[in-house]
Amino acid sequence: MHNLSAALARSTAGMQAQSQRLRLISENISNADTPGYHRKLTFFSQDADTGSVQIGGVTLDRTLLPQIYAPSHPMADDTGYYAGSNVDLVIEMADSREAQRSYEANLKLFDQARQMLHSLIESLRR
Amino acid sequence: MDMITAQVTAGYAQAKALSATAQGTLGVGVGVAAATEGFAQVLARHEAEARAALTGGGDPQALVQAISASQMAVETVTTVRDRVVEAYQEILRMPV
Repeated sequence: MHNLSAALARSTAGMQAQSQRLRLISENISNADTPGYHRKLTFFSQDADTGSVQIGGVTLDRTLLPQIYAPSHPMADDTGYYAGSNVDLVIEMADSREAQRSYEANLKLFDQARQMLHSLIESLRR
Repeated sequence: MDMITAQVTAGYAQAKALSATAQGTLGVGVGVAAATEGFAQVLARHEAEARAALTGGGDPQALVQAISASQMAVETVTTVRDRVVEAYQEILRMPV
């Protein structure tokens, strides 16, 4: 695979990884009020053979869940507390913006590589 | 006139050699593809991706990459074919 096609493949892998990350962020945001929900984390790793990025694995954030006082809540125990979720909306929104910027950077590179290939072939047409 | 004949023949031989080596390494059809597979395989694989995307559940980034790669492959093949045909026509136009 020559260099420009490899650039196309790598930037596609980057876009796929960022969109997977955005999926996890949206899962976290939508479950922000679910009792007992641990937010999902992921990390990126590099594929050994090709050098493409990939999602390493999805783990749960093991920070202690906040105890919310609401005696009338169906899940409240005898002291009136139930465990909320450890999702912080501000962190998730900042994460989603970062994912979007990275996605756009990968997309721009994809476009550039495609244009370079295209202008190379076009030069043959005279 | 002899120099032009020699140049035209050399140009045709070069274009023919280029398409022949490309055919030898790739196996199917004429021309150069972006990967080490043949032109027909490139199109077939990317057609399968496009079908998967249309019937739902396909990955949009992979679809765009597949379409771009097949577009490049088609452009390359047609350009090389045009050059080979043009060189052949130059030879035909030579006075006997």
